Amino acid sequence: MEEKKPSTADILAKIRAQKAAAAGGSPATAPEAAAVPVAEPAPPVAAALVETAPVKPAAPAAKPGSTADILAAIRAKKGGAAAPAPATPAAAATVAASAPVAAAAAGPAKPLPSIAEMVRAAKPGAAAPVAAVKPPVVAPPMPARPLPPSAKKGAPAPARRSLAGLVTVAGVSLVSFVLGGVFASPVLIAIGALIWCVLLSPFAMAWAALSVVTGIATLGTARFMFPNVLVEPPSKFKIGPPSDYPLNAVSNKWKDQFGVWIVHTDQYEGKDLIYALSTVCTHLGCTPSWLDGEQKFKCPCHGSGFYITGVNFEGPAPRPLERVGLRVAEDGMLEVNKSMKFQEEMGQWVDATSFVDGSLA
Amino acid sequence: MLEHHPDLTASVIYGLGWLYLLLFLMNTLWVWRSYHHDGEVKMFGQGVPVASFWALYAAMLGMVATAHLTGSDNPQMFLLRMPDAFKSAVDSVSGPVSFFSLSVGLFVAVILLREWIVKPTVGWILLNASLIFLALSMTDYDFRQIVGKPDNVPIVAMLFICAFFTWLSFACAVENDQRKAAGKPLYSQEKNEKILVWPDLVYSELICMVLVTALLVAWGIVLQAPLEEPASSAKTPNPSKAPWYFLGLQEMLVYYDPWMAGVVLPSMILVGLMAIPYIDFNKLGNGYYTFNERKFAISTFLFGFLPLWVAMIVLGTFLRGPNWNFFGPYEFWDVHKLELLNNVNVSEWFWYKVMNTKMPVAPAGSDPGTQAGYILLREWLGLLLTFAYLAVLPPLMAVTIFRKFFVKMGFIRFMVLSNLILFMASLPIKMVLRWSFNLKYIVAIPEWFFNI
Repeated sequence: MEEKKPSTADILAKIRAQKAAAAGGSPATAPEAAAVPVAEPAPPVAAALVETAPVKPAAPAAKPGSTADILAAIRAKKGGAAAPAPATPAAAATVAASAPVAAAAAGPAKPLPSIAEMVRAAKPGAAAPVAAVKPPVVAPPMPARPLPPSAKKGAPAPARRSLAGLVTVAGVSLVSFVLGGVFASPVLIAIGALIWCVLLSPFAMAWAALSVVTGIATLGTARFMFPNVLVEPPSKFKIGPPSDYPLNAVSNKWKDQFGVWIVHTDQYEGKDLIYALSTVCTHLGCTPSWLDGEQKFKCPCHGSGFYITGVNFEGPAPRPLERVGLRVAEDGMLEVNKSMKFQEEMGQWVDATSFVDGSLA
Repeated sequence: MLEHHPDLTASVIYGLGWLYLLLFLMNTLWVWRSYHHDGEVKMFGQGVPVASFWALYAAMLGMVATAHLTGSDNPQMFLLRMPDAFKSAVDSVSGPVSFFSLSVGLFVAVILLREWIVKPTVGWILLNASLIFLALSMTDYDFRQIVGKPDNVPIVAMLFICAFFTWLSFACAVENDQRKAAGKPLYSQEKNEKILVWPDLVYSELICMVLVTALLVAWGIVLQAPLEEPASSAKTPNPSKAPWYFLGLQEMLVYYDPWMAGVVLPSMILVGLMAIPYIDFNKLGNGYYTFNERKFAISTFLFGFLPLWVAMIVLGTFLRGPNWNFFGPYEFWDVHKLELLNNVNVSEWFWYKVMNTKMPVAPAGSDPGTQAGYILLREWLGLLLTFAYLAVLPPLMAVTIFRKFFVKMGFIRFMVLSNLILFMASLPIKMVLRWSFNLKYIVAIPEWFFNI
C-alpha cells in the first residue's frame, strides 16, 4: 500500500556513508583509528603526528570541518609545535605514545592565528599543499599526566582523627575553660583556648556552624507557629441588658462584629427564652441572612432555611444552627461566651448555659 | 404585571443590530451554499430553488439589522421585542423540575433524532433559531442582566461550543454508521485527510494560537472583571455562586450533604472517568467516530456530561438567584421571593407519618452503645434502602438488563461498572425525590455527620 518509510537507523547509516565518501572513502568507524594515518577530522595533522614525516594528505579535497580542524591546519602550516588540543582521543593517544620520541619544540603558548590565516587555511587548496611542503611536524611533549589514583595504592592513607578523639579533646578544652572560669585562672583558660584552636579544623568549624544555623532555623520555625497577634475577637463579651431584646425578634446587632444573633422567642418548645445563635450555616459554613418578612434564616449559598428557633427545615442543612453560651452576668448584663457551643441534635440545648430566661427582658 | 425596568436602551438596540447584521452575513453565505448544494422544490407547478427561501430569510434579517442600527434613537418605541405573553408563560412553567425534564428530554431527542439533526440544513436552522431566541430575549431587562453579566459571557460561549462539538461528533458518527450499514469503508479510510505535521499542522496551530491570544487580549480589555466589595466573614454575597465550572457541583450540594456532594461524589466522578478504559470491553469504535457500535458507552457518558453537568451549570448560572431560589429566565431576581420547602427525612416520614409516633430517642445519659442502637433503629428504613440500592441492585441488574454485560465483563468489572452507574444515577434520583416528596435525607444521622 504505502511505501515503507526508512527507519532512523537506515537514515543514520546513509548519512554516515555519505560522510565517509566525502572524507576520502575511508571508513568512518575504523577501530584502529590511531594506527592508520587517516584519523578522521583533521587528516593532515593526524598523518603528520603519526609518521613524523611529510606526507601526502589523504584527501586534499576534503574540507576541514570544525574550528578545531582549521586551527590545527594553521598550526601545522606554521611549523611550530603541533596542535596543543588534539581533535580526537585517538590522536591524543597517538601523541602520548610518540611523546618520548619526538623532539620538543616551541611550547603550546603560540599566539592565536589571525582570521586571515584561518580563512587561508580553511581553503582546501591552500591548506593541503602547505601541509605537504612544510617540515615535519613534531609532536609536543605531553605534560606528564597525574597518575591515576590506583597508582597511589601503596602510599599510606592519611591518619584520620577519630570522633572519640575529637570528643576527648573538646571535653578537655571545655573542662579547662570551666575550671579556668571557676578558679579565675588565666592559665587554664589559655590552655583551653589553645586546645580549642587545635580542635578547630575546617571540618569541625563547618559542622559547628551548620548545627548552629540549623538549630536557629528550627527554633525560628517553631516560633512562627505562635504569632504574637490575636486577631480573634474575645470569646466572652457583654451585649447589654436582656430588656434590649424584645420578644420574637432577632437582633443582627452583633452579627458583623462577633458572628452571633441574639434571639428572644417563645417558639422553641413553648418556653420564653433568649439565646445566641452562631451565624454559621451548618451545611457549608456560609453566613445566612435573617429575613424578617419570612421569619426565617436563609442561606444564600445552597438555600438552607432555619426557623427563628434555629431548627433547619428547608434546603440541605443537615442540623440546626448552633447555640453559643449565654448568661446573665453579675452586673445584670447578658454575656455571650463563644467558646462554648450547643448542638440541638446532641441534646445540648437543654443545657442551662445555652439560654437565658426570657421573662427577664 | 409589574414590569421591572422595561426600558430598552439605545446601546442594547445598537448591539442587537450588530448581531442581526452578523446573522445576515452568515445567511448570505448560506444562500450561496444552498444554491450549489440544495435542489429545487416543486411549487406552483414549477421548480423553485431552496436557496430562494434562504435568500428571503437573509433579506429579512438584513432589514431587521438596518432597523436596529438606524432606529435606535427612540428605544421606547421599539417594537421588535420578546412578547410579554411568551415571557410570562415561560416563567410560569419554569422550575427545577421542568428544567431538568427539558434537558433530559433534549438529550434523548438528540440521540434518537441524530440522523436528522446532523443534516447541515437542520443544524443551520437550529443555530439560527438559538441565536434569534438569544437576540429577542436580550430585549428583556432581567434576562439581559443575567446573561449579559461579564461573568456569564463564557458560559454562553460554552453552550454554543458544546452544542457544536456534540453536533460535530454525531455528524461524524452517523456518517460512519451509515457507511458501515452500506458495507462501505469508513470515512477516514476512504477519504484520507492525512497531512504533514510540519508544516501543515504546526502552522495551523500557530495561527490558532495567535488568534486565540488576540481574542483573549481583546476580551480582557473590553469586558471588565466584575470585582465586588472586599470579602467579609460576616457577609455572604446573595446569591453566592461558585466559579461557573463548579456550578454543577454547587447544584449537587443542594441535594446532598457536603460530605457526599463535596467529597464522595466528585471522587467517584474522577475515579470513574479513570476507570472507563478498564471496564470497557467493547473493542469496536477504536479510533473512529461511531454511535451504533458503542451505544451504551456514548449514551452513558453523554448523560453524565450534558444533562448532569452542563445543564446543571446553566441552571446554577442563569436560573438560580438570591437565596438559591429558582427564577425563570425572564423573572426579576427578588431577594424576598418566598418558596416554602419543608424538607423531611425518610426517618421523620416513617415515624411521624407511617407509625404516627415519636422518633425513638435514647434516654438521656445512656452509654454510647445504646445511643448508637437507638440511632440505627431510628434510621433503619433509610439504611435498608441504601443497602438495597448499592448491594441488591447490582446482582439484580446482572441477571436482568445487564445480563450480556455481566457475562462479558466478569464479576469484578461488572460490580465496578454497576456501582459507578448507580452513583451517577443517585444524583437525578435524589433530585427527583426532593422535588416530588420534599425528601431531605434518606439516612440522616447528624450526630455522626453521616447523611445520605
